[in-house]
Amino acid sequence: MNLVEKILAHHAGVATVKPGDVVVAKVDFAMVHDARALNALKQIQKLGTNGLPFASRTALVIDHFSPPPHPEAANTHVAMRRFAEEHGAVLFDVGDGICHQVLPEGGHLTCGDIVVGTDTHSTTYGAFNALGTGVEGTDIAAVLTTGKLWFRVPESIRIELKGELQPGVWAKDVTLAMLGRLGAEGANYRSLEYVGSGVAAMAIDDRMTLSNHAAELGAKAALLEADEKTLAWLKAHGAREPRPVKADADAQYAQRIEIDAAALAPQVARAHHIDDVVSVTEVASQRIDVALIGTCTNGRLDDIRQAAAILKGRRLAKGVRMIVTPASRDIYIAALREGLVETLTAAGASVEAAGCGTCVNITGHFIAADRQVVISSANRNFKGRLGNPSSEIWIASAATVAASALLGRVADPREVEGGRWRNAA
Amino acid sequence: MSLPNISAACHVVGDDINTDVHCSSKYMPGRDTAYVAQHAFEQVAPNFVSEFKFGDVIVAGRNFGINSSREQAVHVMRLLGVSAVVAPSFGRQFFRNAINNGLPLVECDTSGIEDKDRVEIDFAAGVLTVPERKIRRALPTLPPAIQTLLAAGGLIAFLQQHPDWNVGAA
Repeated sequence: MNLVEKILAHHAGVATVKPGDVVVAKVDFAMVHDARALNALKQIQKLGTNGLPFASRTALVIDHFSPPPHPEAANTHVAMRRFAEEHGAVLFDVGDGICHQVLPEGGHLTCGDIVVGTDTHSTTYGAFNALGTGVEGTDIAAVLTTGKLWFRVPESIRIELKGELQPGVWAKDVTLAMLGRLGAEGANYRSLEYVGSGVAAMAIDDRMTLSNHAAELGAKAALLEADEKTLAWLKAHGAREPRPVKADADAQYAQRIEIDAAALAPQVARAHHIDDVVSVTEVASQRIDVALIGTCTNGRLDDIRQAAAILKGRRLAKGVRMIVTPASRDIYIAALREGLVETLTAAGASVEAAGCGTCVNITGHFIAADRQVVISSANRNFKGRLGNPSSEIWIASAATVAASALLGRVADPREVEGGRWRNAA
Repeated sequence: MSLPNISAACHVVGDDINTDVHCSSKYMPGRDTAYVAQHAFEQVAPNFVSEFKFGDVIVAGRNFGINSSREQAVHVMRLLGVSAVVAPSFGRQFFRNAINNGLPLVECDTSGIEDKDRVEIDFAAGVLTVPERKIRRALPTLPPAIQTLLAAGGLIAFLQQHPDWNVGAA
């Protein structure tokens, strides 16, 4: 069996499973964020809240409407705090950070787990050799009352990254290349397994991007095997005892893909379609007005370090504005200690409190102007996502976003000073 | 346990319908399901709601319900009386939401089916027919556990009867 099959079989208490089977499996941890909490709490009421033994293994995360832009969101936040208090659930409040960052940082998941969350990017937990997948309020109600959920066993795609990414090229570029190749939803219903020397060489931050961004491919999950880096990271964050899972030598895959990681250039998704992907060099004359770094996809410490390495001692191009939103409070503190916040602020960027930030206009705190071109390290760029269908959103790595902010046009980070920074750890 | 047959008019929408945008209040803060139901799909099919009759079917292109797929979209469709959605493929989360809320999904090639055609779905026989177009297509069999959840009217209703998750006993 492959990774997702092994985890599902183990949690369903059966010897083997195959794609297409539907199993009822035990869940290890659940997450509900504030954009879905109202619906989830409503569904939970239908099944009754007399004793919710799973509540202590459920996190309520206030990240999307952070801080709340309207009374509905503020009232939802109050209901979440009350529920957490009454039932002993874990609460992450305004400013603590994005669900997919604070769950692993808080030690709430480990290798071999099944973790469900009310968010498509719950695939992120796959970076830790766990089955992380998105669900909705009804699913959460089932998990909270029974500790179990039904799953359809997905087909899997094995993606091997051969060689290592060049300095200045990141996991974001791998996923964008995959989107260009398979198309948005090109892996719909399927689980991805990323393997190879290119994955082994990645730091945990970048591996999380790889698993997270698989959501844009439509993937149900995106799993990596665990190695020394994974185990050390989990231990440092107080996770439970890991149960690492490896794919069998004869594991079956619906598709096998090889990527020459060493030959990959930085990639850019052009406006409106996440799978309209080109190499950065093909669009280097494209003007940009606004640069955004953050989100569950690329708002981690290594992303902020990439931006600071490029912008240290320099200024944003004339007329360009930039907002940086750390993915969590812990990342914010680390960025402060390393002087990254000072570097970016001095360069002309604004650094905002941790949260989902400028990913999507549901808070009203960043809306693009007509004909403005935004380059963002986020994950989705459909027309109007930043509150204005007359604006454009281009998607790239944090390094490419920062290099573009420096030059006022889409820029290859490998061609600017500091753009080849990489995490030596 | 089989789902009841359907014979109803269909309402055709295109590929890659994002139900967050066209059938939820994700971008309309504070609006409830009843409000969204009055405006569902109006940007992609302007007369959708005024022409839709309780029990009708939605026929769509590929990837119906892509992206984050609010469960509210299915609540809206249930409120409108959508009896099934037919499409060659669905967004993954939408698929879950539909099963969890007892809305049958039919995975099937929809080419050649025109707006307002009468669509007949026989779940037991696994056949979709559109008599006036002479279309007859075989349907994949849904796994028994999913049929059980659908027949119960969704996951909440199922768990109210079977809190032990005995999907074989229903």
